Formats: sequence, C-alpha cells, structure tokens
Amino acid sequence: MDQFIKINSLKKVFGEGEDEVHAFGPVDISIKSGEFVSVLGPSGCGKSTLMLMMAGLLEPTSGEIYFDDKSVSGPKNDIGIMFQDNTLVPWRTVEGNIKLQLELRNLDISKYKDKIFNILKSVKLEDFAKRYPSELSGGMQQRAAFCQAMIHEPNTILLDEPLGKLDAMTREKIRSDIQNLWMINKPTVIFVTHSIEEAVQLSSRVILISPRPGIVDREINIDLPYPRDLSVKRSNKFFEYVHEIQEVFHEYGVI
Amino acid sequence: MASSKNKLSGFLKWIASGWMLILFFVLFFLFWEYSIPLFDVPRYILPAPTEIVQKGSADIDKLIYYTGVTGLETIIGYAIAIILGLGFGIAISFSSILRRTLYPFFVSIEMTPKIAFAPLFISWFGFGLLPKVIIVVLVCFFPIVLNAILAFNSLSNELTLFHRSTGANPLKTFFKIRLPAAMPQCFVGFKYAAINATVGATIAEFIGSDQGLGFYISIVTGNMRPDLAFAGIFFLTLLGLSLFGFVTLMEKILIPWHISMKRINK
Repeated sequence: MDQFIKINSLKKVFGEGEDEVHAFGPVDISIKSGEFVSVLGPSGCGKSTLMLMMAGLLEPTSGEIYFDDKSVSGPKNDIGIMFQDNTLVPWRTVEGNIKLQLELRNLDISKYKDKIFNILKSVKLEDFAKRYPSELSGGMQQRAAFCQAMIHEPNTILLDEPLGKLDAMTREKIRSDIQNLWMINKPTVIFVTHSIEEAVQLSSRVILISPRPGIVDREINIDLPYPRDLSVKRSNKFFEYVHEIQEVFHEYGVI
Repeated sequence: MASSKNKLSGFLKWIASGWMLILFFVLFFLFWEYSIPLFDVPRYILPAPTEIVQKGSADIDKLIYYTGVTGLETIIGYAIAIILGLGFGIAISFSSILRRTLYPFFVSIEMTPKIAFAPLFISWFGFGLLPKVIIVVLVCFFPIVLNAILAFNSLSNELTLFHRSTGANPLKTFFKIRLPAAMPQCFVGFKYAAINATVGATIAEFIGSDQGLGFYISIVTGNMRPDLAFAGIFFLTLLGLSLFGFVTLMEKILIPWHISMKRINK
C-alpha cells in the first residue's frame, strides 16, 4: 500500500523565552492509506497537539506534514474530526447535527438522505434521529458525534479521545461500533487514546508516545484478525500486546 | 375534547403546585386590610387594599392612559437598547480594535449610575417622550451589550475547531453556530434590562414630565393621596411584569432547547 500521510521532524513549542514549553516532538511518522493507527501516551504527552497539527488547526513550530505529497498549511477540509467533548449543538436534533456538517461544507443535503439513515442505523441510532442531544445518554451522544464526523465520507478521520468521558461498559460497546464503521469503507483513522486495551483492540498499529516532550518511542504492529470481538480479546496474543505496552509505560514511570 | 381535558388538568396541576403562593398572597392582603383598622393607621399614610381598588377604579381612565404613555417610553427605549446592544456586542466581539477601546469604555460607564444623567437629558431635550426614551435606552443598553460580548466570546473550543475544519465562511459560521450558541447568554442581558426598563422610565418621569405613571405617582403623593399612588404602582408593576413575561416567552420560543428552560419546565 502507498504511503498516505508523512510526518517529518514535526515539533511544537508553546510560549517563548522563560515560559517556553516544549510540548511535542520532533517526530517522524508515516501512515499508509486505510490504516487504523492509535496514538497512545500518558496525559500531557502532546498527542492531542499532534492531532490538531495534522488537522491543520495548529501550526507546528517546525517540521512538515504531508497528505498524499501535499503539505498541510491551514485547516484541512477533507477530513473528519472528533473530540472528547463532542461537537453536537444543543439546538439541533441528531439528524440536524449531522446535516450541520453538510451545510457548513456546502454539500447538497438531499443527496445524503439515505446515507444519514444508514450511518445512524449502523450505530443503532435510527430511532433517535429526531431527538435532541440533551435527550440522549453520553454514549449515544458520542455515537451521534461519530455519524456527524463521518457523514461527508472523509478518507481520513482524526479521533481525539472520543471515548474519554464514557463509562467502561459504554466504551466497550462503542469500540466495536467504531470498528464496524471503519471496516465498511476502510478510511485512514488516527485514534488518540490513553487506554492500552482500546488501542490494541482497534488498531493495526500502535504508536507509543513518551511523556513530555512527546516523541515516538516505539511502534507496534498489532497482528490480530478483524473483527476483533470477545474471542480475540480473550486470546493470549491480545494479552501479550497489552503486556508489552504496559512494560514500556512502566519503564517511563507512568504506570 | 381530549385537548380541553388536558388544558383543564394542566390548570388544576398549576393550582395544585401554586396553592402555597396563592395562599401567601391572600394572607398578605388580608393582613394588610385588617391591620389598618387594628393599628389605627391613618389613611393618608397607608390605605387599605380595598380602598386602593375603590379609589383607583374611579381614576381608571387616567391610569390606563398613563400606563400607555409610560409603556410606550419603555418599549421604544427597550427595543432600541436591544438593537444597539446586540449590534455593539457583536462588533466588539469580532473586532480586536473595538475590544481594546469601546469595551473598556463601556465597562467603566457601567459603573456610573445611569439614572444620574436623567436631569441633564431633561434639560437638553425637554419634557416630552425623547428624554425618557434616551434614559430607558441608557439603563437597558449596558446589561445587554456586556452580556452579548460575553455570549459571543464564549464559543466552546471544540465548536471553534469544528467549524474551522469545515472551511465554512464566516457568515455561515455566524448564523449556523455563533449566533444560536450566543442566545442563552444574550437573554440573560435582555431579562436584566427588562427589569430595569420600567425603573428608568418611572424615574425619568419623576424628574420632569407632564404625563405618565411616574408623573401621576409624584403628583398624587404630593396631594396626600397614597391610595392613588398605590394604584399607579400597581399599574407600573403590571407593565414591568408584562415586559418581563414577554421576554421570557420569546426565550421559550426562540431557544426552547436551552437547558435552563428544561429545568423550569420539569
């Protein structure tokens, strides 16, 4: 497969002079098209900073990011993006929030009627299309936010700890929803998380970021079959990957 | 049939939940009524509620006309304050130059009691409608503009990143995200201003006018007629309540999704 995203000695420093905080980098990463890559690291390691720079929403101090040989300068409009705090607006229904993404991008909503229904159905929210976010549970809100982030069918999706605020059971459930959605169209996914299990279960590759200043310490290919359901999660190989990563963070003194 | 039944049960529910308040008002007026003969309070100091109703209804034509006069001053002033307040609020939120000049200027003027300007405006613009409207505008403008600035500057970080990532133009972003997101905080200003509006109009009329409820109250008080003064105060209260009720209704219609609405409804 071709190299799709290329990151060259990317670095971010906040502030100047004595207040200078070296937040991230320098790192080199390359990602293939259709990969599910988790960026895993302790809080404050700069993994969200990396994601914002990839989205073109934050300017790097030095270094370059290329998508298909095109350098990122300014916000990238052809990606899907999702945060820990979702971007659903309270004055629109679930359906209206998904349409907001299309309206802001000047896309023809009438062509997306079936797509909206299908994507809601794939996360079992089709009966909640006319509900407002405040009427949904936290897990349902995040699932609606997924639909919002993916309705314009971006080939790259950046997810910044989208399950961070959910309880353990809901997380488990939504993980498999994400996996199913990814397996349909195989977009390239960059998934920022601090959950080791989550990273191993979802990703084809896990990038481990060291504590501040965050640099890429190791990359681990996760060679497990998809879909990764309970039987995969119970396998010895799954635990070996989890332990391997735990060892690394133990060395950092993070856990 | 079903809907009228629902309406009736809704009314009964309202009575059931509000009976304590109703009882309180009834007791309050009963106490007022019977404490006057009991403590031998002279009627030129404090009249009984029944007497206020009696004497007030004899003067009802004048009271209604004056309510119209004061109401007009209040509504015109309030409407102008909303237009100016929102306009300046949005301009200041989006212009870094205005934020460094007009904004601190407004904040410092907010500290002065605006009503202190009333005699000056009366001397400049006479006894008519204009100086009262200006004073109402002045009293209402600051809470509206300051809350609007706060409202338009507090869009969540995530929504800011989201709309930037879509590449939507500023106008579209404004109407689809920034404006609706700002409405709840704007209404905080609108409500606060609605409470102040009748205060501004009344004091302006106290200082210099030949009609309106403020004028009426100051004249009848001078004539040792507290019964009529209370009748005037009653109509002023009605006016204030109507304006506040209207703004609250608009809030319910325009932003029914707002969380504070839902808590009140439950």
